[in-house]
This record gives sequence, structure tokens and C-alpha cells, in this order.
Amino acid sequence: MASQNTTRSHNTKAEHFFRLVTAWPKTVMFIAFALIISCAVFIPGIVKDTRSDAFMPPDHPALVYQHKSEEIFGLKDPMVIAITSDSPNGVFTPQSLALVDRLTQQIKNINNIDADRVTSLSTENDIIGTEDGMQVEAFFEQPPATQQQADMVRAAVMDFPLYLGSLVARDGSATLIVAELIDQNDAQSVYQELLTLVDSTETQNGEKIYVAGEGAVSGYMGAYIDADATRLNPIAGLIITIVLFIAFRTWRGILIPNVVVLGTVASALGVMAAFGIPFFVITNALPVVLIGIAVADSIHIFSQYYEETAINPNDSPRDIVVRTMVHMWRPVTLTTFTTMAGFLGLSLSAGMPPMQYFGLFAMLGVAVAWIFSLTMVPAVLSLLKLHTSKNFQPDQKTDIYASFMTFLGRGVIRFPVFVLLLAAGIATAGVFGASKLVLNEDRITTFQEDERIVVADTAINQRFDGVHYLDIVVETPQTEDLFKPDNLQRIEKLQDYVSTLPHVNGSTSIVDYLKQMNRALNEDKKEAYRLPDDADLIAQYFLLYSASGDPDDFEKEVDYDYRMANIRIRLDSGQFQHEAVVVKAVEQYVQSSFNAPGIKANLSGRVNVDYHWIKSLGDNHAASVIISLLLVWAMAAFSMRSAVAGLFTLTPVALSILLIYAVMGYSGIWLGVGTSMFAAIAIGLGVDFAVHTIERLIVLIKVKGHSIDEAITALYPSTGRALFFNFLALALGFGVLVSSEVVPLIRFGTLVAVAVSVSFFASMTVLPALIKVMEPNFIKPELSLKTLKQAEAN
Amino acid sequence: MQVRIYSHLHKTKKRKTTMNIQKHILITTLILITSNAIAEDLPTGEQIAKNINARNEGISLSRKMQMVLTDKRGKQRIRETVSYRKYFGDEKRTVIHYLTPRNIKKTAFLTFDYPEAEKDDDQWLYLPAMRKVRRISASDRGDYFLGTDFTYEDIKKESKVTLEDYTRKTLREEDLNGNTTYVVEAIPVNDEVAEELGYGKVIQWIDKNIWMARKSEFYDVRGKPLKTIYTENIKKVDGIWTAHRLKVDNHKTGHKTLFIFSDVIYDKEVRDDFFTQRTLRRGL
Repeated sequence: MASQNTTRSHNTKAEHFFRLVTAWPKTVMFIAFALIISCAVFIPGIVKDTRSDAFMPPDHPALVYQHKSEEIFGLKDPMVIAITSDSPNGVFTPQSLALVDRLTQQIKNINNIDADRVTSLSTENDIIGTEDGMQVEAFFEQPPATQQQADMVRAAVMDFPLYLGSLVARDGSATLIVAELIDQNDAQSVYQELLTLVDSTETQNGEKIYVAGEGAVSGYMGAYIDADATRLNPIAGLIITIVLFIAFRTWRGILIPNVVVLGTVASALGVMAAFGIPFFVITNALPVVLIGIAVADSIHIFSQYYEETAINPNDSPRDIVVRTMVHMWRPVTLTTFTTMAGFLGLSLSAGMPPMQYFGLFAMLGVAVAWIFSLTMVPAVLSLLKLHTSKNFQPDQKTDIYASFMTFLGRGVIRFPVFVLLLAAGIATAGVFGASKLVLNEDRITTFQEDERIVVADTAINQRFDGVHYLDIVVETPQTEDLFKPDNLQRIEKLQDYVSTLPHVNGSTSIVDYLKQMNRALNEDKKEAYRLPDDADLIAQYFLLYSASGDPDDFEKEVDYDYRMANIRIRLDSGQFQHEAVVVKAVEQYVQSSFNAPGIKANLSGRVNVDYHWIKSLGDNHAASVIISLLLVWAMAAFSMRSAVAGLFTLTPVALSILLIYAVMGYSGIWLGVGTSMFAAIAIGLGVDFAVHTIERLIVLIKVKGHSIDEAITALYPSTGRALFFNFLALALGFGVLVSSEVVPLIRFGTLVAVAVSVSFFASMTVLPALIKVMEPNFIKPELSLKTLKQAEAN
Repeated sequence: MQVRIYSHLHKTKKRKTTMNIQKHILITTLILITSNAIAEDLPTGEQIAKNINARNEGISLSRKMQMVLTDKRGKQRIRETVSYRKYFGDEKRTVIHYLTPRNIKKTAFLTFDYPEAEKDDDQWLYLPAMRKVRRISASDRGDYFLGTDFTYEDIKKESKVTLEDYTRKTLREEDLNGNTTYVVEAIPVNDEVAEELGYGKVIQWIDKNIWMARKSEFYDVRGKPLKTIYTENIKKVDGIWTAHRLKVDNHKTGHKTLFIFSDVIYDKEVRDDFFTQRTLRRGL
């Protein structure tokens, strides 16, 4: 009784509110448009941040250490240009070497390329021994004119272990030009210029030229995603409009929800821009998500509105609107809060800024959609003359969607146990699937397989030692401690160990240069390719080298006071699963066998950073699912005043998540950047169906006094039909992402679309079946119980 | 300049009408008059260069030198040396012995610079830890000298300049820290020389009283600022103007080089056998 009273008093308050809104419709509309415009003006100022580093909190130790070591050793993410040739002499022909030389010069002239930091066969020095001394000189000053000279260059390069696998393919079939940028943030235009250069370069000997490297990847990522978003978002808008047209077939039913969409997207992106929050790779999915969500409230309101109009075509528009809103404000509000709870879960659990902001701004968008739906929508509707929709006639069976839903309802009433067994089967498969889930990520798989950058990356990783770098930074306490043979031998052993690990094909450190120098100073004898065992001699080697080398030749290997050294390890795979094995093994070795008083090592480099953030992705995913489920449950339980009702509400989404796990586990889809977000979002969105279903059933049973079967039957043609269009809008909206070029977005879109579909069908089948079979207390009319007790007392 | 204008005229004659030629002559005459007016006040770049090279440097020289090398993060390498230089006719021989730090003490570096442009210089380094003298490859003119910001060419020329590598133009007279200087712009004669030297342009502030550059700004072959050399603490030693401090700021790498000279002695007690591999090995 009490709760019914509160409901009634809530509804009186609600009626007051909607009377007020519809009393000043033009003012409400003006405020709404002013809000849209004032938010939209900020959007052009939005900043993009497509770096993969953006996924880690800026103060994460791995990232901080990475920046520190980058600064000390001048390491950057370079552009990598590969020249390959399948001729018998590989790239060691006069033509190919001339091509390398020419391209090197042309690349140096590109804007924003650091001309002093372009490395290729035509810029690098050879260290060779002579009878009475050592020479440091270019492999060639002028490209060789004859094959014989080219053969000599080949012999020299092949005798210089440092460049094998890194600058030149071990089989001589390819060589690299590595170019660093002055401003890393402008990689996009440099990548485009390099492609133009490569396309306009004619090759004489069937050479192929590829452009790849971390610099190119992040450079291209921005353009790739921009193009994608520009294409996707309008399509999503169009699809939603079509769904609205099918559902209502009226202008107002199409245009008004689109204004809600506009307000939602404009305010989320506008506030984001105004606060200087960057637009990350995954933010591209946000507008599509918001479009799908924003329209959901409208679909329910319009469905109710047209039902009311069909029943009372002679009432005033304002009365109809107020009655509609009094009916709908509660489920609409409830679904808004549960959806927000889902996004809050994502935001709270994600350690990564892009996901935290995604959750936050999705919450903001959902809130704005709710406000617009409860103010602007009734305001506009109250101004419009009543006009019935062809889809809503007093006899509801004329609509095929309503008929379809009714048919579904009959099935549920007839076979509830079968429905529940089916659900239990899916749940079991899901649990098994989840156990097969693999946490994995590979940046290059962001792109479609036939993209130039992927082709280039594959070619380079095949022919060379690999372009995925793990750095080991060695630190000693005193200046020139690295001259100590003991320390150098430790580094050598570490390199030996690392070379035994899978996907590791080579490594470079100052030790390799010292061995080369030692050999050169000992008449190039093969057995002299080893570390000298005298610290003074090592100091003198460096001085000797400086007599002919460039001052910054060892910048990447050792710091200026010979206290810190960098060991760069080359992996041919960028997959998290592969990287994790290497990182863990190296960490273990460093702890057990390398670190000692007076010397220690730390891991750095892109591979280490990637390892740390992807690893946290797995933990965050589990946390986001649990937190989102808990928050959604709390929200539902609180508003329905029943913990059990909360659990019922969760059943369909839990089922949908389990089914997705099953799909991912069995089909080998990785839990990665794009896919890890699906669960929290699917929970927030999918729970709406259950909320609407339960809300409606409670109203039908408690207020209207229907029996459970009657209530379920009545549920389908009205609420069920609205939910069907709500589902269509979401599933098709996310389905648009399938046509994306960005692979993680395709996966994300597919998973959410499937999850939402499962949530919808489960809310329409499993949930009513569960209620029918279990007859939970929250659904039973309290009134009849009380009357029963009163009758007993009497 | 006149030659260039003439040839320009010559070329135009073939293509253009008489009217145009007259116009050209009029304009070039005007240019000649005005540029002559400026040139009257200032010596030409060529003259200044000749004056610089006419300065006495002594036949031989001995001095102590402290090298302070600082990288962009402020880390320093400090080395002390004693060095000798002597002219054998036009051939210049230099030997540098390292005194500190301890681990490179007794390391010594010997160079023979031959006057013939086509003949490569000879260089040897003595490594005490190996007890061997090792010959090292001749360096290109644009190569950096022993990890400093000076190139071999900078070191070889020291306070002199090459006439044939650059075309020079006197830009203006300017006061630099109380010294009156001519500002001379030197451009390598062609791209090949520029590439070899590593410079696309040099601007020097030449003290008009002592004919020494007090400041030199270097630009790379792409026209970007490369480094600035400051010549400081110039004092007369044995009647010869001598810089006691050379400072280089490398604008590209952030690296700095400082040479501090002391105990500078000209034309005294520098024996010929200082410049042999044997003395290199034996030490001083």
C-alpha cells in the first residue's frame, strides 16, 4: 500500500512537472537548441591522440621509465623504409644500392624528417681492421658502379655482425632506411609524403619498397580512423532514422528523436573538447554508441504517445503528452540510470584514460538524452496537432511487429521450462567459452590485412630480425663503470640468454661495438671478436673510435658518462602473447642472474610498455564486468525496492555476456583493446530491455491487477513492440561498426550488437519465463495479500 | 660580380629585344653604382680572408689544453692534454698527448697534414693499454675531431680560413662586445664542397684590428643553424694574438665543447722527433 502511495504521489509530482514543461514549450525548445549550439561550437577544437601510449596513465611506471630511457638514449619511434629485391644478388647490385642512396637523400629532404638521424647503408660506417690499424669509414661514398664493387660492399656488410638482421636482411635480400622525425606528433603527414615518394620512385631491378615502423603505424592510424569515423557516423544516423520510420511512419517520429541524438552527441563531444580531453582511437565508437542509446528513450515515449493517441484521438495534445510522460518517465529514468551505472563501471575499472573518458562521456550523453527526452520531446509534442500513426490503431494486431511479438509471447507462456533449459545451456557453454578466452593484442591488426602498412610490416618482420623493440636499460652507480669488463660480460651473457627466447632474433648493445673494434684492432682476426678484458683499453677504444666516428654514434647504446647502457632486443612479433613470454623471461633473468651490487637492469621499450598495458587490460576487463553488474544490480534493486528484482534484471545481460564469451572462446577472437570494452557497454545497454519488461509487468500485475499470464500476454504487443524497435536501433547502430575499416571497431561493434540482441531476446523470453515459473515476490500484488490478511483478521 | 652581370647580359641579348637590353643595362648600372658605394666603405670578403691568413702563427707551438665536452643533459667529459705543432715547410704536424683522465693517460694522437689537397692526411694513435701504435683512416674534412664539435677542417685551420672553398661577402661592420668587427658571409663554392665541409653557410665576425674571428656561426647544408664558435680570451703571446678559450655550442645536438689553452709557447724547444711514432709510444 505504502509503495503504491509513493508511486501515486510520484506520479502526481510527475504530472505537475510535465504540465509545467508543456506550459512553456517554446522556452524549453529554445533552451534545448541553445544548449546544442553552445556545446557544438567547441567540437572543432577537439584534439586527437592516436598514440598507443595514450592508453596508459601518464604516470604509469613503465611509461615513465620508457620516456626516461628514450630521452637518455635518444630513442624514437622511427619510420622504416625497406627495399627488397629477389634478384640473386639481393639488394647488393649497383642499381639497388644507388636506389638506397637516392632514397636516403630524398628522405632527408622531407619536412619534419631529422636529416641527421636517417640511417641506411649509404650513411653508416664500417669498422674494419687493417694491417697496422683500424678504419672507420662509410660502406660506400658513391654507390658502386659495377657488380664487382657491389659484391665488395656485400662482403663488408656481411662481415659486420651489428647490421645483420637490423639494417640488412641476413640473406642480403633487403635493406632498411630508418628515419627519425623531428616532431613525433606530425607522423601522419610524413607517412603520406613517404608513400608519395615511394610511389613516384622507379625501380630498375624489380626492387620493392615498403614503408612501415612504429612511426608509420601511429602516423597512419590517425588518418585511417578519421576516414572511418567520417563515414560511419552518418551511416549510423541514417540507419536509426530508417528504424524510426518503420516504427512510426510520421515526421515527428523521425525528426524529434534525431534532435535528441543531436543534443546527446553534441554535448558529449562539446564538453570533451571544452575540457581539452583528447579524442582517442576508441572514442570513435562513442558517437555510434550515443546515437543508439539516445534514440531508445524516444522510441518508448513515442510508442506510448501513439498508443494514447489511438485510444483517445479527441483529447488535447497536451493531455495526451502529459499522460504519456506520466506513464513513461519511470522506466525511461530507470533505464537511464542503469545504463549510466554500466558506463560508470567501465570508467571506474579502466586504468586507461581512453576508456575512463569513454565511460564518463557516455554517461554524460545518456544523461543529456534523458533530459532531452523528458523536456524537449514533450514540449515539442504538446505543440503539434494530434496525428495518429498508421502503425498504431486501436486494434493493435494490424501491425506485423506487434503480431510478431505477440507470437513470441505465446511461445513463452506455453514452453517456459524449455526456454529456461535453453538459457541454462547457453550459460554453460558461456562458462566453458570464457575459460578459453585469450588476452591478446597486436597493434598492426588494427588495420585490414590488405592495407599497405600491414603488407609492409609483414615483409619487414619476415626478412629482418623484427621491428618490435624491447629495451633493457643497464644502470651502474659511477661514471665509466661500464668500462669494467665484469659489467660488460654481464651484458654479453644477458644478450646470449635473450637470443634463446622465442620471437627474439637479435640484439644490439655497446658490447657488440666493442667486439667489432677489438677485432679490427687485432688485424681483423675472427677469434678477436670478443670483449677486451682491460677497462683502460676499453676507454681507449672509445677515444680511438672518436677519432673517426661521429660524436653521437653510440648515443643509442651508452650514455655520455658511460654509466648507463641500452640493450635493444628485436622481436618479429607485436603480439601480446609473444611479447609476454619474452618480457617475463627477461624480467626473471634480470632478477636472478643479472642484478648485482653495482649493476642493475630495467625493462623499457615499446614491447615492455605494450606488455604492461595489455596485461592490465585483462584485469580491467574482469573488474569492469563485475563492477558494472554490481552497479546495475544496485540501481535496479534500489528503484524496485527488491534485491531479487535486481537479480532478475541482470539475468538477460549475464546471459548475453556469457554467450559472447562462448563465441569469443570458440572462434578464437582475442580479448583486446576493442573487445574488452564490449561487456560493460553491453551490460549498460542490454539491461534496459529487462528494466522495461519488469517495470511493465509490475504495473500490469500490481496496478492493473492482471494475472501473470495475462500480464505477459499484454506485455508483448505494446512494450514488447517498443523494445523490438529499441533493439533494432541499438543492434543496427552497432552493426554499422561492422562496415568499419578499423578491425577492433568491427569486433567491438559485432560483439555489442550480438550481446544486445541476446539481451533483447532473453528479456523477451527467459525473463518472462523465469517470472512465470518462479513467481517472485516483487511481482505479486501486495494489495491482494493485505486484503487476504485483513479478511483473515476479520 | 661584374663578370656575372656581364654574362647574364650576354645571355639575355640572345633572347630579348633591344629595348629590353637597354633597360637591363640601365638597371645593372644602377646596381653597380649602389653596390660600389657600399663596397667603398668595407673591405671585400676576399681581402678580409687574406688579412686573416697573413697573420703570424709561429713555426712551432706548444701548449696545454683542457677539453670540456658537455652533452645536452649536462654530463661532462673533461680531458687534459699537452700538444705540439710544427710546420715542416707547408706540411703541418701535430701531436696531442692525453694527461687525464687516468684511463686514457699516455694515449697520444699524431697527425701529418699535407699541403697537397689530393694527398690524405696521416694519423696514428697510440693506445697504452695495447702498447701499440695504430694507424687510423684519414678523416674527411667534415668529420668531427675526437668527439668534439670541431671538424677536422676547423682544427686544421684553427684561426685561419681557406680561400678556395668559399665565396665571401662583407655584410656590414658591427660592434661585438666592444670590438669592431666585419661581418663576413662565406658560402661554399659548390654543393660538393658544402657536402664535404658539412656547412652550407658560415657567418664570421672578424675583429678588424687583429684579423681574428671572434664569433663564427655555421649553418648545415640544408640551411639550418648548426653551431656557433666563440673565440675568447684573446691575448698576445710572444707577440702573436692567441685565443685562450674556444667555445662551441652545437645547436642541433645540444652538445658543447670548450677548449681552454694555457702555457702557450711559440717557436721554442719543439724537437722534430716529437712527431714520430717512437715518441708517441715512449711518451714525453
